[in-house]
Amino acid sequence: MMIMWIIIVFAASLLLWGIFSYNRLITARNDVRNAWSQIDVQLKRRYDLIPNLVAAVKGYMDHERQILEQVILARSRALTAQRISEKAVTEARLSREIKGLFAAMESYPVFKANQNVLRLQDELVSTENRIAFSRQLYNDLVANYMTLLQVFPDVVIASLFGFTGAEYFSASTTERRPLPAAAIQQ
Amino acid sequence: MPLTVIDIERRKRWRIGLLYTVLLSLYLFTALALYGLIFLVVLPFRYAGESSGSSPYMPLVVIILGALAIASIHFWISASTVLGSVVRTLKAGKPDREDVVHQRLLNVMQEVRLFTNIQKMECLVIPSLSFNALAATDLKGNAVIAVTEGLISRLSRPQLEAVIAHEVYHVISGDCLETTIATSLFGVYASLMDQLRSWSEDDRETLYQPNFFAFFALLNLSNLLSMFISREREYRADAAAVRMTRNPIALAEALHLISRNWNGGGMISSGLEMLCITSPVDSRDESEGWLADLLSTHPPMEKRIRTILRYAHRTYDDFAAIQDRTDEAAESGMGSGGSYYALDNKRQWQGPFSLVQLAAVPWLTPRTWLSGADGRPAFRAADSEFISGALSLRMGSPSGYMCPNCSQPLQKTEYEGTQVHQCVSCGGTLVDNDKIPRIIARREKICSGRVKALAGAVLRDNQRAMTISKVTGRDIRKKSGNRCQKCGNVMFRTFYSGAYLIEIDRCNICRITWFDIDELEMLQCLIENKITGTLADRAEG
Repeated sequence: MMIMWIIIVFAASLLLWGIFSYNRLITARNDVRNAWSQIDVQLKRRYDLIPNLVAAVKGYMDHERQILEQVILARSRALTAQRISEKAVTEARLSREIKGLFAAMESYPVFKANQNVLRLQDELVSTENRIAFSRQLYNDLVANYMTLLQVFPDVVIASLFGFTGAEYFSASTTERRPLPAAAIQQ
Repeated sequence: MPLTVIDIERRKRWRIGLLYTVLLSLYLFTALALYGLIFLVVLPFRYAGESSGSSPYMPLVVIILGALAIASIHFWISASTVLGSVVRTLKAGKPDREDVVHQRLLNVMQEVRLFTNIQKMECLVIPSLSFNALAATDLKGNAVIAVTEGLISRLSRPQLEAVIAHEVYHVISGDCLETTIATSLFGVYASLMDQLRSWSEDDRETLYQPNFFAFFALLNLSNLLSMFISREREYRADAAAVRMTRNPIALAEALHLISRNWNGGGMISSGLEMLCITSPVDSRDESEGWLADLLSTHPPMEKRIRTILRYAHRTYDDFAAIQDRTDEAAESGMGSGGSYYALDNKRQWQGPFSLVQLAAVPWLTPRTWLSGADGRPAFRAADSEFISGALSLRMGSPSGYMCPNCSQPLQKTEYEGTQVHQCVSCGGTLVDNDKIPRIIARREKICSGRVKALAGAVLRDNQRAMTISKVTGRDIRKKSGNRCQKCGNVMFRTFYSGAYLIEIDRCNICRITWFDIDELEMLQCLIENKITGTLADRAEG
């Protein structure tokens, strides 16, 4: 009689733990997906801003046409990248090209007097920062999810219900958090 | 950031519980004192008349429950409405999307929201020339970060990021909730104290008023509460800001700038000082020692800057020397190189301008004559590629208003980062009243020698006119008759203020102001350089 009760209690607590564990995994996975779409929002913002900036400066930077073309090329490559690791590489490349464009724009004082260009520049700098922050958040959440997947008791539930891992959004080692243009002037 | 949301919640609840207990005990104490009074005075008469059938404990229970109810209601109401009352006291408003500087603030806020994963944070702008920032949250989870116009106009982007990161740390660590609730519960007494002080002329008289004692006691209670809210949280917030932005120098520079300027004392009421990045009451916090640590809400600024600089492995003296040098350079109005002169509509040579400043001169047209200082022959602006390019970029869009002097449409242009309407032929400007403090706070435009001299001369003339009209009782100034462009009523010609005697036309119905040519620049010049037309100026000029 006693043994039966013990078995029932044990089974019930096992089931409860299983439920909590599954829910935790689901929450973590959804957080990862949400954070990825947040990055997408910021990347899309950057894709939309770049043509505006290029159009605004094109009239003046005739000698620097090569830089402008490189920016546009990097942008179209980043747009078409599909897998996360590929996207990381193309986005890092685009960030570098934009930084090069800002550096070239420093030697044209006419842009400092043009509010439209200044505004676009600040928006792009802000977008770079936002991409960096949302990437940080995404990676933190991926780490959280992977830990939950691999920790001992939960790994049973995970493999039982077919949870797969997620990829980190890691850039190349030379890419750092982009400095705002104002800091470069100092 | 390793702070998890659960840890923050737990810390919040403990300290807020303590605040609630303090409030409750306050009410309980008052109620029990009242009950004791009644018991001693009233009850003996009752005993004489009738026999008391009910238990003597019954009233006590009622009083305790009553105190509990009132304390809870006070707590809930003040903690839920505190944001609204803080915003209203400071007259803080939403940032203007069309203003370049405000848009930068909005961008920084959005970045911070992404970083901390908290969406319910709002940023507001306080229309004051002082240098301060504050953060407030309420029990419902809404957070507000407010920054003054003066501060956002003078900080560079990395410095602004550092200041916002500091305030955001207060929000996410729960410090802000404690201080906001403490402010809302007890800060009202601090403002009442301010008001009492301002009412009574004679200080001695105030001391003997019975109300004063009660308020004084409560104010000291709130001071003791600020002991409970330690100075340590400011050091922690500075450290967190450095961790978030990876830029200790930017925060140190921002704090240095704030410490050198007016922090809003007198405008930001002293009840709110716990919420600010630095105390609005200047130099009260500079003292050290355990009593100062106990009673003041902010640590001394120099100590904060030294602590931050330690992260950057810099010494304070080097840092201070560099800051003073950059401050001097900015004040003396050295523009970036090159000097050009331009012939204006009145056949006067204006300048010197650098190329960038030249491009920003409002009355420049392709036919304006320019001359370089190096002795080259004069040339028209159209001949310079750079200038004509800048001019074509700058052609603003016509707004719906007409110039009262020239009857030509006004153009929408940017002046000091914000939108104004300008006439291309006479140079007059139409500005909304709430944009004027921003323009005054910002210093992108360098005050040239010509404008400075003109401003001094105009000021002296107007002072002379004011004195004459006061002495003789006759007004020797001409009355104006410009009509407001929006509503058609006649505008008032007045001086901008009693100290800054620049004549302007104002329509108080539509809240807009018309500045004739140079008047806006002169006003900026006067306020920035604090010219007041004293005898010393007259002896010079």
